[in-house]
Parts: sequence; C-alpha cells; structure tokens
Amino acid sequence: MPKVVYVGSDGVASAVDAVVGESVMVAATKNGVPGIVGECGGNASCGTCHVWVRAPYFEQVGPPGEDLEEDLLDLGVSDRRCNSRLSCQIQVTDDLDGLTVDVPAEQP
Amino acid sequence: MLRTEINELLTQTGPGTRMGDLFRQYWMPALLAEELPENDCAPVRVKILSERLLAFRDSDGRYGLIDEFCAHRGVSLWFGRNEESGIRCAYHGWKYDVTGQCVEVPSEPETGNFCANVKLRAYPLVKVGDILWTYLGDPAQQPPLPEFEFVRVPDEQTYTSKRWQECNWLQALEGGIDSSHVTFLHSGQLNSDPLFKGSKGNDYNKGDLKPFFEVADTDGGLLIAARRNAEEGEYYWRVTPWVMPSFTMVPPRGDHPVHGHIWVPIDDENCWVYTFDYHPVRPLTDDELSHMHAGYGVHSENVPGTYRPMANKDNDYLMDREAQRRGEQFSGVKGIAIQDASLQESMGPIVDRTKERLVATDTGIIKARQKLRKAALALAEQGVTPPGVDPEHHRVRSAAIVLPHEQPFQEGVAEAVVARPGVAQTTV
Ligand code: FES
Ligand code: FES
Ligand SMILES: [Fe+2]
Repeated sequence: MPKVVYVGSDGVASAVDAVVGESVMVAATKNGVPGIVGECGGNASCGTCHVWVRAPYFEQVGPPGEDLEEDLLDLGVSDRRCNSRLSCQIQVTDDLDGLTVDVPAEQP
Repeated sequence: MLRTEINELLTQTGPGTRMGDLFRQYWMPALLAEELPENDCAPVRVKILSERLLAFRDSDGRYGLIDEFCAHRGVSLWFGRNEESGIRCAYHGWKYDVTGQCVEVPSEPETGNFCANVKLRAYPLVKVGDILWTYLGDPAQQPPLPEFEFVRVPDEQTYTSKRWQECNWLQALEGGIDSSHVTFLHSGQLNSDPLFKGSKGNDYNKGDLKPFFEVADTDGGLLIAARRNAEEGEYYWRVTPWVMPSFTMVPPRGDHPVHGHIWVPIDDENCWVYTFDYHPVRPLTDDELSHMHAGYGVHSENVPGTYRPMANKDNDYLMDREAQRRGEQFSGVKGIAIQDASLQESMGPIVDRTKERLVATDTGIIKARQKLRKAALALAEQGVTPPGVDPEHHRVRSAAIVLPHEQPFQEGVAEAVVARPGVAQTTV
C-alpha cells in the first residue's frame, strides 16, 4: 500500500496507508486527517480539499488536469501556489508511494 | 466559495469597475418599448449600471437616453416637458435633444452660441423586438444590434415582460444557471401551470429527482445540461444556453412557448429581470398571452403602473404556509418568478460568497463565474472583446431531447441549440 503524508499548518504530519485508485482526498477523510474536508465528495466543486504538493512529487502529479479544478483553484482557494491541487483530483498509484502534501490552515 | 475580492469584482458594475466595463461592451435592455408608447410621451427614469439616465421619445419618434440631470443646476429632467423635438427642463427652460445636445437656453441671447457647448452624456437607444436596447460603452467599439431569436421573430410570436428584483444581478443570474433547484422550488408548477403542464418531459422530470449535470463551453458562454433517466437505455436531457453576460433560456416543454431571461444591473443591489416567451414557428395564442399577462409561467404579476411584483419583500411574497404544507407550492410562494425572486432576495442584497458551500450540481455556476472573471480581466488587461458581443453568439436555443445512453449530449443537441428561423424548437 502506498503511503501518503499530510503535513498540517502546525507542522504535524499524518501518514496514511492509501488504497491504489482512491483519491488523495478520500485517503485523508477516511483516516481522519485534519484539514481535508472534501465537502462535495470529490467533484471538484467545493475546493475544500486543497493541498500543496511537495517536490519531487509535484513533478509526478502534475498541474490541474480538469478545467473545473483549474477554475476552482482560481476562484475559491485562499492561497493558490504553483503547486496547488485539489486532492480529490489526484489518484493514488504505487508510483506515488511517499507522496507528501501540505494542508492549508484553512479550507474555503 | 469565492474569495472576497472576486466576489466584489463580479458583483460591482458601476462606472470604472471591471465588471462594469465588461457590461459596457454589450447592448443591454434599457426599458420595454411599451414604456415609451408614443411620440412626446412622458419620459422614463432609467438607472442602469449605477448610471442615472432619462429615456424619452421625441416629437419625431426618435428615442434618446440622456443624463437624467440638467447641465444648468442639476435638477432632474424627468420633471421636464417633452415637446417640439426635445425635453425642456422644468426649472429654467433649458432644452435638450435626443443626443443630449442643448438646443435652447432661453435666458441667453439668441445670437450667442452658448448652448452649442452644452451637451449631456447620451447613449444610443434602439428598438429591437419589444425592447429598447442601449450600449453604454465606447462609441467607436459599438457592436451590431442583438440577434436573439425572441426579438427577431414576428411580433405575434413573442412577448416580453420585466420585473424589478431587489438584489445583485449575479445571484439572480446564478439562479438561471442552477437548474437543480427546479426539482424542489418549482416542483408544484410542472403539474399546474398552464404554460408548462402536459408534456412527456415533465414525467421524466418528476421521475428522476437526482439529475446529473454536465457543462460545455460555447463561443458565447456555456451549455448547461441536466440529464435524467428516460425510457430503457435513454436519457432525457434539458439543455440551457447561457450567453454572456446575462442571457439564459429555459429548456422547452412540449409545444409550449419557450422562455428565458436577461438580467440587467440597475445598481449593485438591484436588477431588472427581462423575461421573454416566444414560439419559433407560430403566433402565441390568446390563452397563452393572457396567462403571460397574468403572471403565469416565468412572468410576474406586477403592481399596476409599475414593474414591481405584487408579491414582494414588503409582504413576504404573499407566502402561504398552508399551501406549502399541502404541497401545492414547495415554498408556499406562488409563481415561478416570485419563487425565484423571494429566495434570491432572501440571500441579502449582495450575497457573501465566501460562506457558501458548493456541490457537484453547482458546476455551471463555477464555470460561469470563471468565464465572467476571465473575460473581465482579458478586457482590462489586453482589450479582448468578450464572448457574447458578437451577434453570432446570440443565435442559440434551449433544447429538451431524449438521447441514447452512449451519445454525448453536445453531439446530440448540436443542431437543436442553434436558432434556425422557421424551424421549430427541439422539445419533449
Ligand atoms: S472534494 Fe470538493 S473539490 Fe475536492
Ligand atoms: S436647472 Fe435645468 S434649466 Fe436650470
Ligand atoms: Fe427558478
């Protein structure tokens, strides 16, 4: 099982064993990771699963693929950075083992 | 959710604002033609994009839209006399023509040309269909007149009404894009409203309360499609076009006339809702017209002599708790227009979108906001003409259609969503 690490704004990291194929948002909410809300259930509509993807994983994950994700990052999240993604739009794969993301202090 | 600065960008339309500059790229309804019924009739105060103007029709039938206030000492020209090809201020008699040019200053000697140098701000005012349209932007950039089908079909096939809505234009427009509320708020009307009832599509509507939404880009705006189950192996699609900045059309039901709206900001806390109903290939029947006049369908019953609905926020929209309990109206408020107005006004004059929580059915709203914002920024930064200015973008239609499961809706409605003169609407 690939590991995903979520680092909170207080610096506290939560490591989760994620299931291949589920989203980084679902892996977090299932395991009660603080700061990832996932209100719209992963539809790229609410923006409450915003994360900053750390190097070197951002290379692998890439920029927002869906138009809607791009729009929502633009309109909704309070601190969009060049490594911003909606975690519901990132699928867990074996290659992403160790994926580390920073979780904003506040979700929309 | 929307960041505060974007909420402000999208909702403020006065002079010098970015969204205001965007609106000033388009022809917009300024008033209904019925408001200036004859030459030399009473002038009408028109507030649009926070500018206070006066519309009048002169002795030769020319329409004018000029600054409401006299250049002399600033009184409202609404009190003036509309006579002999101009409006004469009631205070000291200065007179202006439809171009805003001052043509007479009685106190000054006729030999001088004092008045030649006095000109009020003025905008074009042109009748197309039942609407008098204006354009508040740079005259050098004035686009061709609107081509929306409802103003281009013969008079007897179309009807337009308007009502004052006491909230910001954007939350009103968003109501037109968010078709997921129809299943709840307007559920009572599908059975009872004479302008809706009795179509096969209504059964599909009621049979599947969890529509799935898809949104597609178009040159002028968006297509927002709601998908419901129909017969075995088929979906029932209801497709709403949005043309920027504020035109939408509701998908048709049976052979009923097709309707839609244009929202026009009065100022940041009020807007006009222009509501039309037309049939692409036949005259409206007397029955249909009398229902429209009475406020059925998407129209409203207004206080006589005004465009304020009878049911408004001062009387709690005449909400009837008993009717709500009995299930006649989901919200206890009568009529689709007032159901929408009551809820949209209840959000406050400008809703704080930092507090909202959007879900998957709100995709159309997210897309529309993003298109508006991008267009406003592209205009401000690079002078790019926004979508919806080109009259080619106006030639759209809504559609209701049944398609096999495997067919993408964009493909299935490609023809149906184009306005084709003489061809009936695609409807179920
Ligand atoms: S869960 Fe709503 S945008 Fe990701
Ligand atoms: S204020 Fe209008 S003529 Fe004096
Ligand atoms: Fe509505």
